[in-house]
Amino acid sequence: MFGCFCTQEGRKLLLDPRSVKTRNKHKHNTQVSEEMETMKGKSESELVRLCIEAACESRESIQKWRMQRRTLDHLPSHLADGLIRRLVSRRLLYPSLLEVFKQSAEEVDLRGVNNVDAEWLAYLGAFRQLRYLNLSDCHRITSSALWPISGMVSVNHLHLSNCSKLNDAAIHHILSLSNLQKLQISQTSVTAKGIKLLASLKNLSLLDLGGLPVDDVSLTSLQVLEKLEYLDLWGSKVSNEGANILNKFPKLTYLNLAWTSVTKLPNLSSIECLNMSNCTIDSILEDDEAPLAKLILSGATFRSESEFLLHANTNFLSSLDVAHSGLSKFFFLSKLKVIEQLNLSSCMVTDDSIEMIAGVGVSLKSLNLTGTKVSSAGIGILAGHVSNLEMLSLSQTLVDDTAILYISMMPSLKVLDLSNTMVKGCLPQENTDHGSPHSLTALQSLKQLESLNLEHTRVRDEALSPLSSFKELRYLFLKSASLADISLYYLSSIPKLTSLSICDAVLTNYGLHMFKPPQTLKLMDLRGCWLLTEDTIMSFCRIHPQIEVQHELVTIVPLHQGGPNHPSPSQLTSKATQAAKKKENLSISPDFIDQRLKYSRDELLALQFMSLPVVSSSESGDSIFKQQLN
Amino acid sequence: MRKEDTVKLISAEGFEFVVDKEAAMVSQTIHNMLTSPGSFAERQHGEVTFPEISTTILEKICQYFYWHLQFASGKETEFPIEPELTLELMMAANYLHT
Repeated sequence: MFGCFCTQEGRKLLLDPRSVKTRNKHKHNTQVSEEMETMKGKSESELVRLCIEAACESRESIQKWRMQRRTLDHLPSHLADGLIRRLVSRRLLYPSLLEVFKQSAEEVDLRGVNNVDAEWLAYLGAFRQLRYLNLSDCHRITSSALWPISGMVSVNHLHLSNCSKLNDAAIHHILSLSNLQKLQISQTSVTAKGIKLLASLKNLSLLDLGGLPVDDVSLTSLQVLEKLEYLDLWGSKVSNEGANILNKFPKLTYLNLAWTSVTKLPNLSSIECLNMSNCTIDSILEDDEAPLAKLILSGATFRSESEFLLHANTNFLSSLDVAHSGLSKFFFLSKLKVIEQLNLSSCMVTDDSIEMIAGVGVSLKSLNLTGTKVSSAGIGILAGHVSNLEMLSLSQTLVDDTAILYISMMPSLKVLDLSNTMVKGCLPQENTDHGSPHSLTALQSLKQLESLNLEHTRVRDEALSPLSSFKELRYLFLKSASLADISLYYLSSIPKLTSLSICDAVLTNYGLHMFKPPQTLKLMDLRGCWLLTEDTIMSFCRIHPQIEVQHELVTIVPLHQGGPNHPSPSQLTSKATQAAKKKENLSISPDFIDQRLKYSRDELLALQFMSLPVVSSSESGDSIFKQQLN
Repeated sequence: MRKEDTVKLISAEGFEFVVDKEAAMVSQTIHNMLTSPGSFAERQHGEVTFPEISTTILEKICQYFYWHLQFASGKETEFPIEPELTLELMMAANYLHT
């Protein structure tokens, strides 16, 4: 949800075409199918979901159904795909198990699964219906490993980005997939010579060549790909000469030229999303036809600032990112009638330029002014004009507590970032005549506020007291050495708080012990709270198993959160449990009953921590400790 | 229990399950059969036959209907599914939109 504020890291964001589709609400044919791919998982009916979960419960449960060949062959493809997805996220999929899906699966997503190698592909080569195969970040894939999938006419989307061992030899296998429509091979070892060959894949509509040494000659040879709608060339060797042929792609809607030496573009009549971040901009978008919706120019340098967007069609432009571009003139803003997302961070924005932002304020949903020279007076000018603004970042600006009074007049605000500012939480003397001396009290009028960042401000304990009546607040970020135990007391009654970050504070063991977290709390970041001891944090985790606590001394992840992003404790301690299992196996009697049945979940948790000190004396215990430190 | 409030679900092998209409309506497919205008045989007789669903699976489906009703009213218990039934149950659930 903080996506809009992450665009400073523009380059990383660009690598992932999925990040584009979520924001580009205009027609985007190429991304539609991908969106559906991700949607399917969510539209599964409740019982189907429960079945998939039960089927992927353990290795033993898989054995119970994998022999039902007739049923497996008749499984509707979206169920097979869902089952595979779940198996992957539970890390239960292995090559020979893939075989049971060869008649049914259409989409196989193995991205980031480390052990995928030639053996897996040997099984995938037999999949009759396979349309979509994602092997990105599978580092063991070599060019020859792709041989089994060559000639598969059913495949229309192949994602191989970041498979660094793939080279030009892989291209020959890829060329045999004659119905390929989408191909992603960014950050592989393919060279300009291999890229030239792609010209024979006439059906390509999406081509991601990010980070590859595409030169003018190889780009020119690709101009026969008339169906191309999406072309990613970030970091390539393409120059102005090569860019000149880009108008030969009549359907091109998405183009990424970030980190290239291109300074000029020909007229691109159908372009909707253009990324030229970190380029030098000479003349682009000189025609007024292109239905441009999204423009990313973060870190770009402008030869002629005054002509920026002067001749472009801005009737559809809803997202503009010029962060770190050093722009100082903002006349172009008056042309942006439908702008929703505006990122001006680290530009030369002062209170004088705010008036121009206010002029287009009604349509704005997200405004990033991080690192600008805007002060509270500027926010005062903005306040009455941004009734739809949902996200506002004023990090590293000159604003103080007076700005908070103005911000309280922005009724739709959901996300507010005031980190690294002069905000103290107390109003200057002259403003305190009506009621509370705490400035944050004013924000109570923002009925939708979900996220508040006050890191590196001068807010002290007392000033946080108004927060307890923030009804919708879910995310709170604090980082200050002047916060103490009493803050926790104020925060404990925020009704919907799910994520609390309170770093570098002087919290004591006693304070944490007395803290009654809101029922909804899932994540608590206590890094840098140096007074806390491991015992206290452990005991806190034991009492509140649903909360993930982050601290230098320990990281505990709550139970029942399978999936690639959240390694469960059982995975972390796998070595230890394996060792324990060996011992168990020796003593198993015919009428053995799993002793764990006797205990409730809470009791088990308590037992787990009780046994920890004992285990940690052994070798396997050390590894747990190290993993927890990581 | 009045007859109008129940519906008869018949498995591939001919076993009949009489369940509350309210429970059976948990399935979007059955809901459509019983409420759509026109004179569907299902609607007139309050009977639905599933030639593709075996007795074991249909029984499980009926259990799920009642579990779902309870779950919807805030009672949190787990619905147990034997691993050997998962595939067929999944296909039936997919067909019944439940």
